[in-house]
Amino acid sequence: MIYADDGSLSEEQRLMRESCRSYINDVVTPFIRTNWQREWDMTPGERLSPEILQGAEEIGVRTLGVPEEFGGIDLERETEVRTFALISEEIARGDSGLADKLVQNWKVSILLREFAPKHLQEKWFPKLLEDPQFLLAHCLTEPRGASDRWLPYNVPEASMNTRAVLDGDHWVINGRKQFISNGYDASLYVVYANTNPKVGMLQGTSNFLVPRDTPGFTVTKCNETMGCRFMNNGELVFEDCRIPADHLLVKDAAMGSAGQYFRAGKIIQAAKNLGVGVACFERTADYVQNYVQGGRILIKHQAVAIRLADMATRIEAVRALIERASKAVDEAHPDADILCNMAKVYASEEIMKVATHALELHGGNGAMLEFGIEKLFRDAAIFLHMDATVDVSNMKIIKNMFPKTAGKYAGPEE
Amino acid sequence: MKIIVAAKMVTDPNIKVRALSDGSGPDLASVKMAMNPFDEIAVEEAVRLKEAGIATEVVVVSIGPAKATETLRTALAMGADRGLLIRADQPVEPLAVAKLLKAVVAKESPDLVLTGKQAIDDDSNQTGQMLAALLGWGQATFASKVTVADGALQVTREVDGGLQTISVRLPAVVTADLRLKEPRYASLPNIMKAKKKPITEKTPEDYAVNVAPRLTVIRVEEPPARQAGIKVATVQELFQRLHSEAGVL
Repeated sequence: MIYADDGSLSEEQRLMRESCRSYINDVVTPFIRTNWQREWDMTPGERLSPEILQGAEEIGVRTLGVPEEFGGIDLERETEVRTFALISEEIARGDSGLADKLVQNWKVSILLREFAPKHLQEKWFPKLLEDPQFLLAHCLTEPRGASDRWLPYNVPEASMNTRAVLDGDHWVINGRKQFISNGYDASLYVVYANTNPKVGMLQGTSNFLVPRDTPGFTVTKCNETMGCRFMNNGELVFEDCRIPADHLLVKDAAMGSAGQYFRAGKIIQAAKNLGVGVACFERTADYVQNYVQGGRILIKHQAVAIRLADMATRIEAVRALIERASKAVDEAHPDADILCNMAKVYASEEIMKVATHALELHGGNGAMLEFGIEKLFRDAAIFLHMDATVDVSNMKIIKNMFPKTAGKYAGPEE
Repeated sequence: MKIIVAAKMVTDPNIKVRALSDGSGPDLASVKMAMNPFDEIAVEEAVRLKEAGIATEVVVVSIGPAKATETLRTALAMGADRGLLIRADQPVEPLAVAKLLKAVVAKESPDLVLTGKQAIDDDSNQTGQMLAALLGWGQATFASKVTVADGALQVTREVDGGLQTISVRLPAVVTADLRLKEPRYASLPNIMKAKKKPITEKTPEDYAVNVAPRLTVIRVEEPPARQAGIKVATVQELFQRLHSEAGVL
């Protein structure tokens, strides 16, 4: 149980999961357990040791999504999202911040693979492959909001505030991006900006490739978060930042045509979340079978056993929904959008409950930093917000299910 | 130099194996399987020899059920060139394994056969030695270091009381001990590449080897469960019990 394989995985999917699990067990988990203080180092670059990303490099999980011709890895496309889910679960079982660091690389590599002109692929993919510390970032959210603002209102006034204007053979970007995963330490960014203020967000948003050293682009700070702390979240400012015209990936329709790759993102999100749940269960199952209370190991106390059963059941339910949703995304099923949001939101709420049980069953130890259970609790809590809040995700589900009523623009307030 | 590596699929070393309630053997239903750790070390050694330009081809052989292709695929992802599965759904004893490997050697003509010193499931520690005897080749068992020079191997062996270095003429059979090499992870790109590497499937009949068991397992049982400890009131009582009950003083 907990890792149950229903036999639907391919041989290479099983082997990949094994490799990831060995890397996590041999390298990541010992690091996290013995270096728990480093999460709180106020020099963000010092938190994760470089050997961790070096190890990720050795098993090849840093450069998923990079085409084989550039030295990357071509997964079977018809089961690609399921494979992403398996791998991200395994990594997040070791550390969800590390998983988030890596999945940003996959997400942006896919956009590069699908939309960047050949000469830019030839320029950036080798740089990504050469340097184990090379990270990518995907920049949507702004200080005045993200999908909470533009999702219900596909009208000009709800669009992104970051603007890009064509000036000769360059795009000039002005604006601010906030809460960006890898934003603090990435080397290359995909930035979304408004390119047509007269229409709604879906019709007037483009995305661009922005190298970190571009004049006019500044990383202003690392956002300190409650969990997922081994991924450095950043805030970015663009002041007359000039980008060559060929660095445009998708013009105006970026939220639509690039947006299909957001579905995989939701599945990966849910799968990372599941990995945190599995870690909670493993740690707790071990603890309650060794810690003695009232002369008996904890698991023999019925109240404890009941909570443990509840943890296992929720984990299995989350796994089942992720499997169904990832299959729908892989097969481009019409319900894929709905299912991947369901998986994401369901995972976040269920695994939060799993983490709460873990904290409770560890008693006082659960609250101790050096015990590592409170870290899992904080990491689980982050998922309620990361990549859309619970309420926004639910809104997306209903808008998709009832486009004619819930999906309709209600008009501005009087 | 062509190398054959023999790799067995065994129960995953990280899991606890239980005995069947009738004592007829270990309970292997739905138990996680993996490559024998010592064979993994042998694969790593072979791949390093290939990377160093000493070996030209690494062929990995496994004798076992259809699922053992996973063991072969792992070896291919680590860097072996091709695989051979000799399909056997029942456990094959060391002598029959050695006979099958001898037949494979006759077809493939390798310069070196590498394998683990023993499999962690039955701990027989016989296959390498029997194979060397059947072939009339030299053998270097429990290897912790292998160097190749002038058609011979210098092999450091882990023996009781220290290390012994011997020279073996090629062709030879070498069995890997724990410290020979640290096996690499099968990386994800290499797992995908391994999909394209060939695995041939044969049966023991193809080599005219009788694999019927010659040994009878009488009983398999679990080690006794550990007893709970006791608390003693005084140091004096501790000494007394260590003397009278534990018999260590």
